[in-house]
Amino acid sequence: MRAAGFLLLATLAAATDATGQLRVVTSTTDLADLARQVGGDRIRLRHISEGYQDPHFVEAKPSFVLEMAKADVWAFIGLDLEIGWMSLLLNGARNPKIRPGGSGYLDVSKFIPVIDVPSGAIDRSQGDVHPLGNPHYWLDPANGRRIAAAFAAKFTELDPGGAADYARNLAAFEAALARAAEEWAPALASLSGKPIVAWHTSWRYFAGYTRVNIVGFMEPKPGVPPSPSHLAGLVATMKRTGAKVIVMEPYYDRKTADLIASKAGASVLVLPPSVGGEKGLDDYISVLRRNITSLARAVE
Amino acid sequence: MDPYFRGDVFIGVSDLEGVAIEQAYLTATSLPWGIEARLGRFLAPIGKQNTTHRHDLHTVEYPWVLQRFLGPEGLRGTGLYLSKVLAPFGFYQELQLTATDRLGEDDESLVTSEPINTRLGALGYSARLRNYLDLTKHANIEISGSIATGKRAQPASGLGGEATAVGVRQTLAGIDVTYRWRPLQQGLYRSLIVQAEWLRQINGRFRAPNGVEYEGPTRDFSGGYLFARYQTSRRTYWGARIDRVADPAAGGDPLTAVSGYYQFYPSEFSKLVAGYERVSGAGSAAYGRVIFQATFALGPHRPHPF
Ligand SMILES: [Zn+2]
Repeated sequence: MRAAGFLLLATLAAATDATGQLRVVTSTTDLADLARQVGGDRIRLRHISEGYQDPHFVEAKPSFVLEMAKADVWAFIGLDLEIGWMSLLLNGARNPKIRPGGSGYLDVSKFIPVIDVPSGAIDRSQGDVHPLGNPHYWLDPANGRRIAAAFAAKFTELDPGGAADYARNLAAFEAALARAAEEWAPALASLSGKPIVAWHTSWRYFAGYTRVNIVGFMEPKPGVPPSPSHLAGLVATMKRTGAKVIVMEPYYDRKTADLIASKAGASVLVLPPSVGGEKGLDDYISVLRRNITSLARAVE
Repeated sequence: MDPYFRGDVFIGVSDLEGVAIEQAYLTATSLPWGIEARLGRFLAPIGKQNTTHRHDLHTVEYPWVLQRFLGPEGLRGTGLYLSKVLAPFGFYQELQLTATDRLGEDDESLVTSEPINTRLGALGYSARLRNYLDLTKHANIEISGSIATGKRAQPASGLGGEATAVGVRQTLAGIDVTYRWRPLQQGLYRSLIVQAEWLRQINGRFRAPNGVEYEGPTRDFSGGYLFARYQTSRRTYWGARIDRVADPAAGGDPLTAVSGYYQFYPSEFSKLVAGYERVSGAGSAAYGRVIFQATFALGPHRPHPF
């Protein structure tokens, strides 16, 4: 009887922490912010990679294991973005709730219409990363809405008492996003059809939304660093198409981009790909606004 | 498998063993209190590099102290492995315990009159406590201690019959420190690892009965290494290692080695290493050697061990 009582107590303690909050760990800052928009103070949040760090190359530090061991929800981008480290942390965490098949295992890509999915057999001729399609889907606000909805559904499932809160928060987020979209509509209009170059295919979803025309990439293939022969071809493409801007994330080597920009008569624009990718950019809508308005100014 | 067990098999190809099963174990992943248990054949968690697969090493060969004290293929055992992650002080700690059929593998030419591991106390046992601490978002340190003990066959003559060896206790104790620096924003292009390990081999003193001559070690040996690797570009790294070990195979004569490495990663799936090593001491003439190694990973992208 005492053993049963102890077991029950342990189970109860595991369900929620002392404050009754759901413990949510996300792989990226964007997922963390969208979870925060929906979960509010009913959840406790941690994230693994920082917004100014290449999300493809994150180290499986043991300190992350401690966070994941206590998590009720593990939300990640999927499509092998986290292939380099996620299984090590999941194995280390020894937390059945967040393992594949567990109630808290949330592969967010399952809710997204994925682009750039390789056709035919997957092999390494297609690059070092993105074997299952392009994982940088958060920079399209339509996908931001899908991610937020996925969190609302998952939190409601695990914490039915918060269903009304989650629904209200989701509606508020969608309204804020709609208001922001109205505000940046003029900038969006000026981006349509403008030729630009990007370092990585991380701006493909963003281009789908803004209708900016990415005419080439600094990388010959996703995850493969620029080679001299590829860059020579890129300069020719930029001159031919009139692309005047090279967009890159803060974690790439600016010198190489500057060199190509000077050869093509263009300029380099460092844009934050994620929440926290730049100081002060602490929420998802601010990141979109910053990227849309900065790029619109740059291509004018 | 299923949600409760995971199976891992590592097959290696080497000059010494040909194609061999390096490790094969079943891991129970859903035990209470966050305990992880493995049953099977595994690399003993002694020090930092014994559990690192050769293709994941930052150098071409294992450090000399591991080769000399743990064997050229590393210290492995068949048995039970238990691990528990702790955080009583807020940082990551992990206790790893093993019980195996014996301590390492003895030379096949050594024959004891009866198996050395018939008693429970003569099996191989090990314990390792890992302590990992984030110093900043960009730097961290791991300081760990390990100990292993068991009986090993040691040569002796005059034993009678077929016997050429007796079982004598050997204990290994060590400490290892790894410092890592990788600035998150520039992490694609810059990083640093500094690693040091020290290991002591403590040999039981065998009291030979009349007529028996004990030819095993009659003293203890120590050794260690210091290794550093610095990343200079997206695909290139430079490393160096200093080894020093009292070589048991040379009666404790110190072996000193200094080596340098250049690593180039043509892609996420391949690695080329060029190195130079100068080895001296341990009762033989000093020599230098140039080392090349090419590694190609097959199959899907694997996680990068930390
Ligand atoms: Zn990518």
